[in-house]
Amino acid sequence: MGFSCYKYPFLLYPHLTLPLLCFFLTLFLTATCFLNPKKKMKMNGGAIEADLLLNCTDMSVLERQRAHLKYLNPGFDSPLAGFFSGSSVIDGGVIDGFLGTDGLNLPMIYGENTVEGDPRLSISPETMTGTRNFKKRKFDTETKDCDGKKKMMMNRHEEEVEEEEKSKITEQNNGSTKSIKKMKNKAKKEENSCSNDSSKVTKELQKTDYIHVRARRGQATDSHSIAERVRREKISERMKFLQDLVPGCDKITGKAGMLDEIINYVQSLQRQIEFLSMKLAVVNPRPDFDIDDIFAKEVASTPMTVVPSPEMVNSGYSHEMVNSGYSNEMASSGYLHFNPMQQVDTTTSDPLSCFNNGQAPSMWDSHVQNLYGSL
Amino acid sequence: MSFIKVLILKFSSLRTQTMASSDKTINTDVPEKDVFAIHFLQSLSNLTTQNPFNSPDTTNYRARKIKKAAYVSMAKAAGGSSRLWSRALLGRAAKENNKIVRFARRKRKVTWKISSKRRSDQRAPEATDRLRNLVPGGGTMETSKLMEETAHYIKCLSMQVKVMQCLVDGLSPK
Repeated sequence: MGFSCYKYPFLLYPHLTLPLLCFFLTLFLTATCFLNPKKKMKMNGGAIEADLLLNCTDMSVLERQRAHLKYLNPGFDSPLAGFFSGSSVIDGGVIDGFLGTDGLNLPMIYGENTVEGDPRLSISPETMTGTRNFKKRKFDTETKDCDGKKKMMMNRHEEEVEEEEKSKITEQNNGSTKSIKKMKNKAKKEENSCSNDSSKVTKELQKTDYIHVRARRGQATDSHSIAERVRREKISERMKFLQDLVPGCDKITGKAGMLDEIINYVQSLQRQIEFLSMKLAVVNPRPDFDIDDIFAKEVASTPMTVVPSPEMVNSGYSHEMVNSGYSNEMASSGYLHFNPMQQVDTTTSDPLSCFNNGQAPSMWDSHVQNLYGSL
Repeated sequence: MSFIKVLILKFSSLRTQTMASSDKTINTDVPEKDVFAIHFLQSLSNLTTQNPFNSPDTTNYRARKIKKAAYVSMAKAAGGSSRLWSRALLGRAAKENNKIVRFARRKRKVTWKISSKRRSDQRAPEATDRLRNLVPGGGTMETSKLMEETAHYIKCLSMQVKVMQCLVDGLSPK
């Protein structure tokens, strides 16, 4: 099993207690000649390898934690970035693994950290093709990470073939060594999991409710102007929504005209309410008219019997139904016999047209029909 | 009269159904017409009990009362205090009911008017500011929030207009 991917976290965090524990374990292992001593240039590297071999299954969890830590305090690992400058392919694999397992959804959350993470990715010389360049725009990094990862994987495959031919041990400038053959299988698996993970993570990114803003070419990237842009986009989105709501507003272009139209519409609606309340005040009041009384009686269900209409009789209207709560059909049947009356009434709504801004009284008629039809 | 009774009965019978559907007001979803109708009819009935219409009031006064009842009932139907505009409207109505507050407010209002006049002298009010004045409680809103509230307000207003129109049509003599 390849354990290259787990090598560097230990070097990164020698202060952690767990690696130390592992170190002792690996010392024991090397003493028992579990690994071929020829493949090790130094004792340390082999030890770490061995311990990685041992803890392969557990490492994924550990690594995740570490990746998290790494992104949480980027200042901590920034000096170590140079550490990998001369590292080989596997180095890229390490970081690849980092990003694949846990790090990929982090760029969004820790937007600035990814900018620091990118150079680290691009450092390993073999994996870097000249075409790739990381812009320092914070908001562009995410997708590029994915692209870059794919590229790196491709490169890794090619290089692995080469390395198989050689079947040698590559040496790092810091002195640690690896047995590549053992790593390869694991590395391939890791790549697959990486690609799977990345696809998953990108889907997850779309679901999360973080506002992800992209600065296009030539746009300002400082936080104030980005926030302003977000605000403007929000407003225009709402305006579009309002445009759908207000009739006759979709023909007007320009914000000012649209706002004027909206204001006119709101005012006309308010005036309509004023007028209607006036009309109600004229029409409604009669001393014997007592709505409160009816509300009190509504549970007792007596008032329904006052209006016996043929429709109600036909629909099987009965007192028992009333007592058991008014069913829908019954209620609608109670309405049916008002429709002719309303059609007569709509002729009286002619004075409304002066408040209607040209919307014909037929519109009112349709509203009435809608209200009574939908009930 | 029988017509009104059946109308009210109808609305009240639908109350339970519409209440169930009105709790999913997420963005600018407006509850059903029946909710508006019920609230409006209830507030109308409250109006009749508070100051009976056979008292020697002018129709103007009555119209004002009904208008206020319409707005308050609309705010209540639109979800009470869940929306900014409805909260502002209800708060304003509550303040107007309280006479002591009203007296204190009148003094302040004069000074405020002067200051606003001065401000308007300096620069012409923009469209958004005019909208702010129209939507209740819009003075303190952020622009994007104002748009959202306006959308909801427009929906509620049109619903209220429909309900009132129905009532007027039903009540007007043939």
